[in-house]
Amino acid sequence: MGRLILTVDDSSTMRQMITFTLKGAGFDVLEAGDGVEALGVAAGKKLDLIITDVNMPRMDGITLVQRLRALPEFKFTPILVLTTESDASMKQKGKEAGATGWIVKPFSPEKLLDVVNKVL
Amino acid sequence: MSRWFSSGPASAGPEPAEATSAPAGEHREALLRLAACEARMLEGQVNFLTPELLQVDSLVREAAGTLEDALKTLDRSVQHQHLLAGEIQAAMQSTLEGDADASGSTFDAMSATIMGTLDGFVNHITEISQSTVQLADQVNDIRERSFRMETMLGELSEIAGRTHLLSLNASIEAAHARQFGAGFAVVAGEVSKLADRSTALSNTIQEQVVGTRQALERTDAHVKAIASQDMNVALASRGESEALVMSLRTSNWVVKDLVAQLEENARRVTEQVGHVVRSLQFEDLVHQTLMACLKELGNLLEQSQAWKALEVRLKAGEPEGPALAALEATLGQIEAARVQFRAVKSGSLAAGEVDLF
Repeated sequence: MGRLILTVDDSSTMRQMITFTLKGAGFDVLEAGDGVEALGVAAGKKLDLIITDVNMPRMDGITLVQRLRALPEFKFTPILVLTTESDASMKQKGKEAGATGWIVKPFSPEKLLDVVNKVL
Repeated sequence: MSRWFSSGPASAGPEPAEATSAPAGEHREALLRLAACEARMLEGQVNFLTPELLQVDSLVREAAGTLEDALKTLDRSVQHQHLLAGEIQAAMQSTLEGDADASGSTFDAMSATIMGTLDGFVNHITEISQSTVQLADQVNDIRERSFRMETMLGELSEIAGRTHLLSLNASIEAAHARQFGAGFAVVAGEVSKLADRSTALSNTIQEQVVGTRQALERTDAHVKAIASQDMNVALASRGESEALVMSLRTSNWVVKDLVAQLEENARRVTEQVGHVVRSLQFEDLVHQTLMACLKELGNLLEQSQAWKALEVRLKAGEPEGPALAALEATLGQIEAARVQFRAVKSGSLAAGEVDLF
């Protein structure tokens, strides 16, 4: 069984592109449409990596990172933020929340896999 | 006074120069019309643009969905093609080269083995042919000897004939001699009998010799035919086998080349799929941009409502100054909020930057 990755994005296209890229490289992928759903999906699972968008309904990505880091089982799990946001101030918020890295959309499959393999 | 309204009959500040030229009642009436007009125009723009933007979002989403499905199908096809190419390559390896790791043999080595075996076979056939030719020579020699024997047998027949004639003459002479030739007549008779037997024997031998010669001639013909056929068959077989091996070798090269082309094609398609994956994210970028635009339309609607509120205040008799100040405050809040909605700042679909903390 491959490593398990959770991808969180309110855009189904983005989720599908991320899943397509990761599954093609042999990873197992779970999906969630926002932060609230992500917390539900992640509960009780051993995730190797979480990739989340920032701007989402119900719960944004920064809040999701903070909530995950507060949980003992995800304290050291790599979390990558994949967003259209590129402002330094927003990146700083992500870093302070506990994100492992910041990727600005759109991503190239090669680069995403390169980063994923680096943080795993 | 204000960054929004540098003129107007506001009672809270100094009167603008141009406002003093019109009576207060007319000025208020104009302001009322302006507020109503602004509110109507803004609301009209919002009502027009909102469904348009929602339609664009819907179309983009539908197009993206179609492209996603096409991409997945394409990817499955490429994966399947890759699998088939691998199977073809493995099948060719297994068929033409065997277990190369175990035997160390290759297709070239197999070709060399086949041709070596064929050479041995042809050499063997050639030796047999040469022996057959020698056999044919010996048969021919025996045949010539048979000819000579026939000649000699002819001479023997002639001698027997002359002996018979001689014995006949001797018998006649013995008859002339009467009682003195009686003994001689007996001898002549015996000689005559011997001559007859000699002739009969000679004829019998000649028949046998002729039969033998004819058998040898047929054998000679068969031997020569066999010698010629063996050589021709061997050479023809070698030629055909060489052609077959060359054909197999060519097929092997062609298939290897085709498999390599398939692999290269799959690599290129995979590369293009990567570009498609990146480009398909336009749906999310466009969606976010459209949502920002819709949010801005919401701002325009708020502006429209602010102008309506001004109209209401003025109609209610509120002094123009505070009413305009309230409008200005509302518009300022809307403007301040606007900058926060630009989530998408990238102007292209080039891959974004990566920053690991």
